[in-house]
Amino acid sequence: MNFFEIIKSVFTLSLAYATIRISISIVFAAMGEMITERSGIFNMGVEGIMLMGAFTAAVGAHFFESPWIGLLLAAVVGMLIGLIFAFLAITVKAAQAISGLGIYLLGVGLSGYLLQVFFEHGGNTPRVETLPMIHFGFLENIPVLNEVFNDQSVLMIPALLLPILLYVIFYRTPWGTWLRATGENPKALAVVGKNPIVIRYIAVMAGSFLAGIGGAYLSISQTSLFSERMVNGRGFIALSAVIFGNVKPAGVFAAAMFFALMDALQYSLQTVIPDQYFPREVFMALPYLLTLLILGGFLKQGKGPADIGNPDEKESR
Amino acid sequence: MGKTRKYLLKNEAVVTSILAVILGFIMVAILLISSGRNPIEAFGYFMGGAFGTLYNFADTMSRVIPLLIAATAFIIGAKSSVFNVGIEGQLLLGAYASAVVGFAFDLPPIIHLPLMLLAGTLAGGLYALIPAWLKVYRKVNEILSTIMLNYPAFFFNHFMVLNITKAEGVIPGTPFIKDTAKFINIFPGTRLHAGIIVTALVVVGAYYLLNKTSLGYEMRAVGLNKEAARFHGIPVERRMMLAFFLSGCLGGLAGAVEVAGVHYRYLDQFSPGYGYDSITVAMVGLLNPFGAVFSAILFGALKTGILDMAVYSQIPRQLVTLINGIMVVFVSAKSLIRDKFLKVVKGTAPVVVEEDRA
Repeated sequence: MNFFEIIKSVFTLSLAYATIRISISIVFAAMGEMITERSGIFNMGVEGIMLMGAFTAAVGAHFFESPWIGLLLAAVVGMLIGLIFAFLAITVKAAQAISGLGIYLLGVGLSGYLLQVFFEHGGNTPRVETLPMIHFGFLENIPVLNEVFNDQSVLMIPALLLPILLYVIFYRTPWGTWLRATGENPKALAVVGKNPIVIRYIAVMAGSFLAGIGGAYLSISQTSLFSERMVNGRGFIALSAVIFGNVKPAGVFAAAMFFALMDALQYSLQTVIPDQYFPREVFMALPYLLTLLILGGFLKQGKGPADIGNPDEKESR
Repeated sequence: MGKTRKYLLKNEAVVTSILAVILGFIMVAILLISSGRNPIEAFGYFMGGAFGTLYNFADTMSRVIPLLIAATAFIIGAKSSVFNVGIEGQLLLGAYASAVVGFAFDLPPIIHLPLMLLAGTLAGGLYALIPAWLKVYRKVNEILSTIMLNYPAFFFNHFMVLNITKAEGVIPGTPFIKDTAKFINIFPGTRLHAGIIVTALVVVGAYYLLNKTSLGYEMRAVGLNKEAARFHGIPVERRMMLAFFLSGCLGGLAGAVEVAGVHYRYLDQFSPGYGYDSITVAMVGLLNPFGAVFSAILFGALKTGILDMAVYSQIPRQLVTLINGIMVVFVSAKSLIRDKFLKVVKGTAPVVVEEDRA
């Protein structure tokens, strides 16, 4: 197979479809983390929250026989873990990097532990019912859009609308102004009679709520079960997307889509180029290495809120 | 009572750390009760599994070795404000590199074993230079970059043992290393090996470097306040690069010692997350190499004790990771524990809360 044949069989409409499919969980988590970071809090524990979201969703879908209840529970559990993190980061003033790391380990450990408690044979949950796929009749006659956007998860709609919604909230409503002011200069906010602590709590919990949904998507939509550590670094990729996207809705969304494309590309390269010609592991490592390359500023990166990471450390990000 | 109170106040940090551990155990007990298990019985199995027989004790100590070396790696970084969460990846690469040197060469033991350890050490150190450079010169958060780099390290080794250095066997791995590259066993028939001497040297060496040399003083100064350190003429960037490199070196060494002392070859997925556990060990040990000795024994015991506990009380072994998370959360919240604790000891309201830098 020559180079052009490979290119032709990799860059297809199904690659675009896979990109959207993979992006949904990253978009939810990254949008959530963007809200959190806008308030000046850096939540390193997204990965752990997503894991608990994925686990809770599968458990809810299994025991209540409805993926919708699973989704709801996942969002609530995500929010509650967010509450723990908010308490540590805001009230206790713990070092955010360390308590975030603790939340990550807690998510890995708790989801793995409870998996064993609920379903004694290890590794994964039984198969569960998944969220419905959506099919737009009017897209059927439009060639490219039909293949890319039709028959995706129902969660694609909120994932695509979130950046727009958050743009409007950030820049067109007083809430957005307060949120951004909390991240830039919390003292100034206190002057106008708003409590930055309350806003930070809300922002962290809203962010974790979305991270929980991002995790749930993995177990009750992209696949149909929870397996141990299934989030597989997507939480950290979402964190990278927020940095790369300059903590702005359009930028973060574009970054999340880009990372999803890298992942989709990785899968399709694996199928197009057989293992004996080229090691599959190189492709598998690709998304992580590319993320680092981008973070390293080989592409331009901007700066986030001024007061991020306080009140514990004014470290580089 | 007066004396005790004075003592407790003087050793506030140590007491806080111990309280964090106790709180962690209480959380675990609550978890066990809520899933219908008897926590006291479980604790009995745990202690028996960790220290009950010579074999079990040796097994526990053999797990202390990689945990303690890796925790020292984290400490050297953290003292210089470098949070190296990539020890797992450095450990894997160090283990692989040392295994290759171990099986590929025929050398006298006096050269072979040190050379093999050196290979592992350098592999870890060089790999750590990537996130080091990214942090120091490109301002990339090192927690993010080091976690990301754990994946490629695993994939690299996975590829190598499947394709280049494959050996017969169910689990993918390299061929066995030569006898000249092995650590001797201290108690024959157990897993405890002479690598524990290397571990002791690492701990004492790290303590000496950090506390008794001007280089260590400069590294700690960078960790406390970069601007002040720069003002005093300390080359901040170079000290951080060095701290990252040394941290990675010890991460690699932890893997190499594990190959030379326990597995005698690189086995795919041999590490039960020593690199991640070491972070908890270092933090519970108050980022002090000697403090880490105690917490490493605690977490080594967790690794072996949980196995027995899991068999007898049907408790999932994933409990270890969970305990790690709970303890890191509690240690990060230490200012809270400290204030509540001081309140009790002093009988007064807490003194001014200082900013925590963990």
